[in-house]
Amino acid sequence: MDNKFGKKHYDVIVIGGGATGAGTARDCAMRGLKTLLVERFDFTAGATGRNHGLLHSGARYAVTDQESATECIKENMILRRIARHCVEDTGGLFVTLPEDDLDYQKKFVEACMKAGISAEVLDPKEALLIEPAVNKDIIGAVRVPDGAIDPFRLTVANVVSARRDGADVLTYHEVVAFEREQNRLTGVRLRDTRTGEETVEHADLMINAGGIWGHHIAELAGVKVNMFPAKGALLIFGHRVNDVVINRCRKPADADILVPGDTISLIGTTSTRLPYDQIDNMEVTPEEVDILLREGIKIAPSLAYTRILRAYAGVRPLVAADNDPSGRTISRGIVCLDHATRDGLDGFITITGGKLMTYRLMAEWATDLACKKLGRTAKCQTAETPLPGSELDKSYGPEDHKKSHIIELSTDQKAAEGRHGSLSEQIEYKTEDDEALVCECEQVSVGEIKYAIEHLHVGNLINLRRRTRMGMGTCQGELCACRAAGILVNYNKCAERTLRDLSSFINERWKGMYPVSWGETLVEGQFMSWLYEGVCGIDQLARPEDLIDAK
Amino acid sequence: MKYDTIIIGGGMSGLVAGIRLRKAGQKVAIVSAGQSALHFNSGSMSLLGHEQGRDVANPLVAIERLHPGHPYSKLGAETIRKYASEVAPLFAEAGVTLKGSAERNHYRLTPIGMFKPAWLTLEGYASVDDPKSLPWGKVLVVNVAGFVDFYPQFIELGLSKAGLECVSRTFILPGLETLRKSATEMRATNIARVLKDEVVLEMASQINSYLKETGSDTVLMPAILGLYDENPIRLLRSKVVKPIHLVSTMPMSVGGMRAQMSLCKYFQKLGGTYLIGDKVTAGRFEDGSLKAVSTQNLGDMPLEADNFILATGSFFSHGLEANPTSIYEPIFGLDVEASEHRPEWCDMDIYKKQNYMQYGVVNDDDFHVFLQGRRIDNLRAVGAVLSGCNSMKEESGGGVSLMTSLKVADDILNGKGGKK
Repeated sequence: MDNKFGKKHYDVIVIGGGATGAGTARDCAMRGLKTLLVERFDFTAGATGRNHGLLHSGARYAVTDQESATECIKENMILRRIARHCVEDTGGLFVTLPEDDLDYQKKFVEACMKAGISAEVLDPKEALLIEPAVNKDIIGAVRVPDGAIDPFRLTVANVVSARRDGADVLTYHEVVAFEREQNRLTGVRLRDTRTGEETVEHADLMINAGGIWGHHIAELAGVKVNMFPAKGALLIFGHRVNDVVINRCRKPADADILVPGDTISLIGTTSTRLPYDQIDNMEVTPEEVDILLREGIKIAPSLAYTRILRAYAGVRPLVAADNDPSGRTISRGIVCLDHATRDGLDGFITITGGKLMTYRLMAEWATDLACKKLGRTAKCQTAETPLPGSELDKSYGPEDHKKSHIIELSTDQKAAEGRHGSLSEQIEYKTEDDEALVCECEQVSVGEIKYAIEHLHVGNLINLRRRTRMGMGTCQGELCACRAAGILVNYNKCAERTLRDLSSFINERWKGMYPVSWGETLVEGQFMSWLYEGVCGIDQLARPEDLIDAK
Repeated sequence: MKYDTIIIGGGMSGLVAGIRLRKAGQKVAIVSAGQSALHFNSGSMSLLGHEQGRDVANPLVAIERLHPGHPYSKLGAETIRKYASEVAPLFAEAGVTLKGSAERNHYRLTPIGMFKPAWLTLEGYASVDDPKSLPWGKVLVVNVAGFVDFYPQFIELGLSKAGLECVSRTFILPGLETLRKSATEMRATNIARVLKDEVVLEMASQINSYLKETGSDTVLMPAILGLYDENPIRLLRSKVVKPIHLVSTMPMSVGGMRAQMSLCKYFQKLGGTYLIGDKVTAGRFEDGSLKAVSTQNLGDMPLEADNFILATGSFFSHGLEANPTSIYEPIFGLDVEASEHRPEWCDMDIYKKQNYMQYGVVNDDDFHVFLQGRRIDNLRAVGAVLSGCNSMKEESGGGVSLMTSLKVADDILNGKGGKK
């Protein structure tokens, strides 16, 4: 059985292509470890791609969980430096509605101060000037350093960084078993989730960074890590309703954060316990939609008449501790387990708990432990070294573009720069056709699509969407998906596979639209059916098994 | 202002009804918001293409098996047979050439290389009698450089499944250089707008050289010409040495827009009033009749008529609307046939049957509509706003629009169920 990258022996194999896995692979590679990153589907296919995209100040946890709040604000400041092309400094407000208890504000501000989070009490009138979308009846407001972060960009930037430092990366490779010698894991058996082909890779150490799926990965290794799947549903609105993050100043509850991100705004979340066997199969229920909408309108009344683009849900990877039915009072603290000391199983680490905000710190803890176990002494540099795309020393910018036929940056080139930071320099506009727009909603050019296909582990349309935002805008992929498929097929040379990919991509878009299928979303859905089923007849190709590619 | 008939909605069904009424001498006004489903047309219309997931060979026969509430069942097969034969001549008068028969479906080639049953297909578009035995020989698929709404590889796949040999070529048209400089301009209708005769001739000579080089027997190309009339298509066909057929592109649809504009011009030429960019906002009802409607642009100047036709289309055209708790008809609040239970509206799998597609206004056997349970004797609905058919699964949208429009227009002319 051949391994994918020749007869290589790795120092570490990191399992899981979310922010934590990608961050861990980056940290390991930066410290000189021979690293392989494996992901069973695509990067960010799990919880990383299904959250608020909130650059937490930590204020939300200040009252209930000081430890998390402190970690959050530290990481918040670090991410602003190392991931500036993924971060938008929107600022945040914690507002008190007439129905909320204003006494909580005092407790909240005190707790923020204690955790080192700047929390400035504002006159509600001033808050309204800062964020006109907020409910004008608010009775209190506190300003905190919240922001927005793009988890897709963040994760890919970590992957690009890891690769630059020599890491190998395999997407669509699932760990189906561990290789072992007595009480030591020596490698992983991987199954290509698209072809079914199996390979074996060896390493001294496996790091389980599988988020909620880490529960199962640990089981494969023969140890028990009891995870607590808590589902959180969110709604995406069709435009940027607010420019500042708006939180409810109360004990964390349903639908109390409204986050602006790129061209949209997000309201979330709910919190419901989920049986473990349902984590791959999440549907947003009408009840969840109604709660999110009802509570969201209280924060920003204009949500009542703003188009909802889609609904989605993610699973919080909390480690089960008590029997709280909602999973909300559990600490979001980081859990880093050395299974050698915990379970007598050598060569295996689990890094879990935590949250998107602390992915880097989780990676640092896991890599520290890995280095210790492998007898390495290199120090962590991820808190100082900017991610690819966010380099500060590199002079680049609109005025530095010397490309002959470009007089100034077009809208799509500016959008690409916003998405890829300094990496956007690698996007080539060889011909005028490369400047043609694929996705008009998000201004994605043919050149950017080609760049993503060539450099960012793109095999299908959903990968492309995650790398470029193609299909994330108001039309939800209606017009651009087909165009992107027309480019993708030039690379994979398989029209049949690409068409089936297109059919499942359209279905995946609809899956997020149907829970909110009224108003303009239903109009868009009908248009989508009209085009792809009616005009094109793509339903003739649709097969349930194609949805595997849609992960 | 007083008319004999006012039609709300200026898409295909509204225009066809308007033409019919105007030709019979009625004073007719159409109020159109400006959008038409024809703008997204595939190049074909179907009467009935699918029955329980299978292709229909003879739509007139299959129509007899539809459920009683279906608009076709209300019309009856004989009426449909009669009207079906009148459609192509009516469109021809408007300058739109349609080919096909209601006795036997043909197949159109879709933008991604599939074949779908069709009843009438626009001049120049690729269609065949039997997709299993394609009459095209070796096919040359040509595309214009920079045009991303046409997919030669997918068409090649479709044709190769039918055993055909295929080659593709991309050519650069000097006449399109200005368009290519702007990222958003290379869309089918924009190209069609600038394809002057000399560019069409240039295109023909490039295609001829590819034909010679590849030894192909038939040419397929994107439907990017003939926006205003069919002449550019005829010119190209006369100059290319082998048969050449158009394949519909992703929107906007050049052929569909041509059909829409031609019908509209014809209606106006006949003396009809076409109020474009206006919207009916409310109606005045008295004793079970609609007396007048007011529009956004005309403000307090109501439009009065003896008869009214609602041709506002489906959700897509805003003839129906939905909010989180209900589905409604937005202009008059007419009675609607729809589930009150939101989870029943849609299926999570987009390719499965979507219940919302068959929702529409409640209507009687003559397509009169109802307001709070009361039949409105001079307001009838036509086309996609009607309840009772799932045009997506049946492939019946075009046919239902045309058949109900012609029937309602004739009923108005015959004074049936309303005033003459």
